[in-house]
Amino acid sequence: MNAVTPPIFEARGLSKHFRGLTALSEISFTLGQGEILGLIGPNGAGKTTLVSLISGTLLPTEGELLFEGRRIETLPCFRRAHLGIGRTFQVMKPFPGLSVLENVTVGALFGRDGGERNRGRARERARQWLDFTGLGARVEQRADALGGPDRKRLELAKALAMQPKLLLLDEVMAGLNATEVDEVVALIKKIRDEGVSILVIEHVMKAIRDLSDRLLVLHHGEMIAEGRPTEVLDDPRVIEAYLGKRRK
Amino acid sequence: MKNIVTVAALVALVAALGAVPWLGSAPIVQFGINALLIATLAQGWNIIGGYTGYASFGNSVFYGLGTYGTAIAMANYHLPFGVGLVAGALLGVACALLFGLPILRLRGPYFAIATLGLSAVMGALVSNLDFAGRNIGLILPLFRGDRLFYELALGLLVLATLTVFWVSKSRFGAGLVAIRENEDAAAVMGINTTLYKVLALTLAGFFSALAGGIHAYWITFIDPSSAFDSTLNVKMVIMAVFGGPGTVFGPVIGAFLLSGISELLASNVSTVASLFYGLVIVLAVVFMPKGLIDMGGGVRRLGWKYFIQNIRQNRL
Repeated sequence: MNAVTPPIFEARGLSKHFRGLTALSEISFTLGQGEILGLIGPNGAGKTTLVSLISGTLLPTEGELLFEGRRIETLPCFRRAHLGIGRTFQVMKPFPGLSVLENVTVGALFGRDGGERNRGRARERARQWLDFTGLGARVEQRADALGGPDRKRLELAKALAMQPKLLLLDEVMAGLNATEVDEVVALIKKIRDEGVSILVIEHVMKAIRDLSDRLLVLHHGEMIAEGRPTEVLDDPRVIEAYLGKRRK
Repeated sequence: MKNIVTVAALVALVAALGAVPWLGSAPIVQFGINALLIATLAQGWNIIGGYTGYASFGNSVFYGLGTYGTAIAMANYHLPFGVGLVAGALLGVACALLFGLPILRLRGPYFAIATLGLSAVMGALVSNLDFAGRNIGLILPLFRGDRLFYELALGLLVLATLTVFWVSKSRFGAGLVAIRENEDAAAVMGINTTLYKVLALTLAGFFSALAGGIHAYWITFIDPSSAFDSTLNVKMVIMAVFGGPGTVFGPVIGAFLLSGISELLASNVSTVASLFYGLVIVLAVVFMPKGLIDMGGGVRRLGWKYFIQNIRQNRL
């Protein structure tokens, strides 16, 4: 967005191999402070792998990751969370046996800078995030009793309660209807307005176009395009790889 | 107000338990010591198995090391009991730290199997050590003081239960529960999962080893097969799960009830006692797989339908 502010995150020559399979090769990009960067690409392009490399769930085969100018590619997950990197999972990972409130409290108790030490205060903070994400009425329900859209919201609330500086959203809108998508888009914009930088993976084209300041396109583990959404979506390589049939 | 009443009731209960050796007969006191020690073991297991979700079958190793640490210090080096207990506890904690790191990388059944091997290995190891008395075992100085052992065991159980209470309320405990519920999500949310798991196992090891040390001096004779007895581990798991894993009082209630049932059956219907004991366990698993504490809440909420629901959920 703004060329003057230094990027909050940068990837340099990032590669990930699973034995013989190359999931990602030589990915380099930056993410600006307060920017929403959209990440698109067909299934199997390596989008979730990229998010896992940034959050520390996977370690890269090669390349460097810089968060606020600091190398993080060898840090374990929890350290990256303490630095201020939060993520959601495409295959949602709630704490099934706990209440919605307890789920989000975990994010507030740990998360950035190790979180809030006091359980009572963490619970209060969690309540605020639940109101923010529209789950305020469901605090006492068990997480495994929630329906699909609410589970997505819970996943988001858990990540937000960590108070991340960089939020990685892995398909938080999959399976939502049009109204719900609009709600979540508004929510993500609201989060950005609070100063959070966001990397968002999404298949819902309308949402990604509305949200993203910039788009990054992955195909077979390679970055084939990067730039403003309107330009990228008109790029013939992108259309061929990903959007060809839809644009017909 | 409600808190004050609960605390007062618990203090009264502990005081009543503490008075038992001065009022009860010798067999009752001896039964009490055993029950208190196994309740402590169940409570220790609760921290790693109940709260953290790692079903350990290696906690009897910590118990055995506590037994041997105390026995070696007292029988070979003629050190006082207190020093022996510390030695035993140190051994238990060291073992938990040493083996916890590699073994806690395994999840689910793989973890359980790895811990299962631990107690057999340690038993074999000790049987070949001269200073540990090889197969023959060790004899500790004789000390007749059931009252002292009873109060010590009670004190240890209270300490273990207070620790579990703290765990249930603390940030640390919230981290353990998050690991139990979904370890990947826990790590991504900022929990140092390795450290938390090892600490949980170490706490369990500490209490198990102290229980072993008290038992060793009380019984005055130990050998590898009794110290590293894997059926003891099965017992503590059953008791903790029977009462309610991941709750503060469940394992204690489970241990007291099952110790009582087993004692009654053994004295009244001696030969078929274990059969009835098995029956109780089977019925418990079928009708209240989440333990007594959960059943208490469930029955209040759903009545007898609670049992039907359990049976359905487990597809029996």
